[in-house]
Amino acid sequence: MRDMEERITLKGSRDGLRLILHPTAAWEEVLEALRKQLAQGSSFYHGAKLLIDVGERSITDVELQAILAIMAEHDIEPAALITIAPTNRTTGRQAGVETRHPDSLRSTPPPVVQGEGLFLWRTVRSGQAIKHQGHVVVVGDVNAGAEISAHGSIIIWGRLRGSVHAGVGGNQQAIVCALELSPTLLRIADNLARTPDNHRPTGPEQASLDGDNIVVVPWDAPRR
Amino acid sequence: MAQVITITSGKGGVGKTTTTANLATSLAMQGQRVVAIDADIGLRNLDVVMGLENRIVYDLVDVVEGRCRTRQALIKDKRFPDNLFLLPAAQTRDKDAVTPDDMIALCNELRREFDFILIDSPAGIEGGFKNAIAPADHILIVTTPEMSAVRDADRIVGLVEAYEKSNPKLIINRIKARMVARGDMMDTPDVVEILAIDLIGIVPDDESIVVSTNRGEVAVLDRDSMAGKAYNNIANRLLGHDIPFLVLDEKQGLWAQLVSMFRTRR
Repeated sequence: MRDMEERITLKGSRDGLRLILHPTAAWEEVLEALRKQLAQGSSFYHGAKLLIDVGERSITDVELQAILAIMAEHDIEPAALITIAPTNRTTGRQAGVETRHPDSLRSTPPPVVQGEGLFLWRTVRSGQAIKHQGHVVVVGDVNAGAEISAHGSIIIWGRLRGSVHAGVGGNQQAIVCALELSPTLLRIADNLARTPDNHRPTGPEQASLDGDNIVVVPWDAPRR
Repeated sequence: MAQVITITSGKGGVGKTTTTANLATSLAMQGQRVVAIDADIGLRNLDVVMGLENRIVYDLVDVVEGRCRTRQALIKDKRFPDNLFLLPAAQTRDKDAVTPDDMIALCNELRREFDFILIDSPAGIEGGFKNAIAPADHILIVTTPEMSAVRDADRIVGLVEAYEKSNPKLIINRIKARMVARGDMMDTPDVVEILAIDLIGIVPDDESIVVSTNRGEVAVLDRDSMAGKAYNNIANRLLGHDIPFLVLDEKQGLWAQLVSMFRTRR
């Protein structure tokens, strides 16, 4: 029974608390190990969000539901399902859990400060995705092909050429501003806008919602 | 102990292999002991560009799988038989034949005997790219002044950061001075502004490259080639020399370049 603990591994990673399932161990043993582990540190895990890393293992709807049920008993939410097997994507989607490829975790460098706002002092490049539940501030450019999504507002002290989604989850008050606002795609709450092809920003601009429309105005704070 | 330098780009056809061949040759001309490794398994080219195609007996995969000793697979360059070597890629296998750990072990073995190990990366961001950058101490990213190539280079810079390799350097290849002057092509500062990394070289578009590549000769050996001169400058910068960037204007030709260099200095 000593190797029981190795059926699962729980460890902190850059992207959050990660639950790694042994790739070949019998499923019942994995579940048993998970039950034990969570029971031991019940209060510690309470309210946590877990990345479920199943690696190459392909899991069924029933199996995923079993894990989610055990986690729910301890009030733990799934952050994402990390998987290599494409079939798991469907499984995850059906269970309403976001799925991510392990590489996507590595391609997003760690945030500098994390709190209610996420502050990044660097260039956000093509292929990098920043997701945050608060506001996001970037000091640097957001290049085409990069994606930023935030439950709050998104402020770019630089050129914004990637795609951004502020107010994820329906926050209509969220705004997006940038020194040069020319995103490939701009979303606020459930609304969507594209930068017009002939748009040449001449200065800082701010985008916000007016009813169901996204309006962009030059940033001239002193006159407000 | 050798420095391992990987030449990569994301996008295909921007001049990774030409850059690798020219930098390797240029460093060898200066007496450095150099080995160029073709990491593009299944689509090997570096041997052709270096004119060593017909000398391949063993390749990278043979070395990794233990069918020969590393030394046996190294091909001597005909012009610098004492200090320039090529380790060719296998043509009949694919990227999965080699792992990043294999590449690290191979480079560690070669480090003792060489001053520079240049790795020619395949295009793309998959396994072959990961193999190529795994052993790298330094990374050179090649792009052309085209939006699609710059976009891919940006993706590569992001991945290089994610693999915790520091400070990739940028080479902008195939700049057409006339088109830049007319405003029809992105200029060096435009590219550098987007990518926000250090520039190590600019290489003018040069028809002689096509000729030399087809003949298996390299531009750095051609005194009249502007691209060759640009590559020599990059090699010198790799050696730590402070060399000013070429001034490219619409008057191609070395004399016009030299004249304009003097003008800008004054």
